[in-house]
Amino acid sequence: MTAAVLDRIDDDLWSAIGDPTRRRMVDLLLADGGGTATTLSDQLPVTQQAVAKHLAVLDRVALVRVTPIGREKRYRVDEAQLARAVTQLTAVGSAWDARLQRIKRIAESIQQTKKH
Amino acid sequence: MEFGTIEREIFVEASPEVVFEVVSSPSHLQQWWPDEAHYEPVAGSKGDIVFGQHGNDAAMVAFTVVEARPPRTFSFRWTHPAEEPAVPGNSLFVTFDLTPSGNGTLLKMTESGFREMGWDIALLEQQYNDHVTGWDYYLPRLVSYAATARVQQ
Repeated sequence: MTAAVLDRIDDDLWSAIGDPTRRRMVDLLLADGGGTATTLSDQLPVTQQAVAKHLAVLDRVALVRVTPIGREKRYRVDEAQLARAVTQLTAVGSAWDARLQRIKRIAESIQQTKKH
Repeated sequence: MEFGTIEREIFVEASPEVVFEVVSSPSHLQQWWPDEAHYEPVAGSKGDIVFGQHGNDAAMVAFTVVEARPPRTFSFRWTHPAEEPAVPGNSLFVTFDLTPSGNGTLLKMTESGFREMGWDIALLEQQYNDHVTGWDYYLPRLVSYAATARVQQ
């Protein structure tokens, strides 16, 4: 992972994916291979208008791609953009995993020394 | 998964007093995270942590202790601009919660503030490590752990 890739992830992408309803929508779009505001609102406890607003947020940060079909719009997840967001989260998470493992080893070795 | 917060839990076979010392004291912090740590482990203390050896490549990051209640809670903010007080929105907030459990301690870590700050600064250390060849960085640490392990046996 290079700094150049990281720079392309901005605050907007972060907040777009930070919302639980939008994450659920991304999950549904991934599972179904795409969908419309209608198909999404059928599967979620929110109105079609709310779904449309969330889709607009996802569209703004390029997490979804839009194709017009007749009067409706079909959305699918831009997997490359999603992967970028997930990679960043994973990087920070695994850095903490490594730190906590070191904390554990240090604390346990101090405890061992105290027992002897 | 909440994308604005990182949460981790780990069981440590050591008393909360020992674990508290390891997560809060600057000398121990240097063993598990930055190369240097300068602060007092008391609430309100302002200092910094340094990644990399002295010289052009070293990165100094602001570090402010928020809460220090041995042996239960240690929390701090980091990555805020050095001249500004650490507040929500300009820093990442890390909390260690320690709970006695059986013959050891349940250590819970949360880091929040990513959504407010964006990613770039959160990944400072990550990026730094990407620039340093992995072995150059980790080998000296592995050697010192191996030495500690040998002393115990």
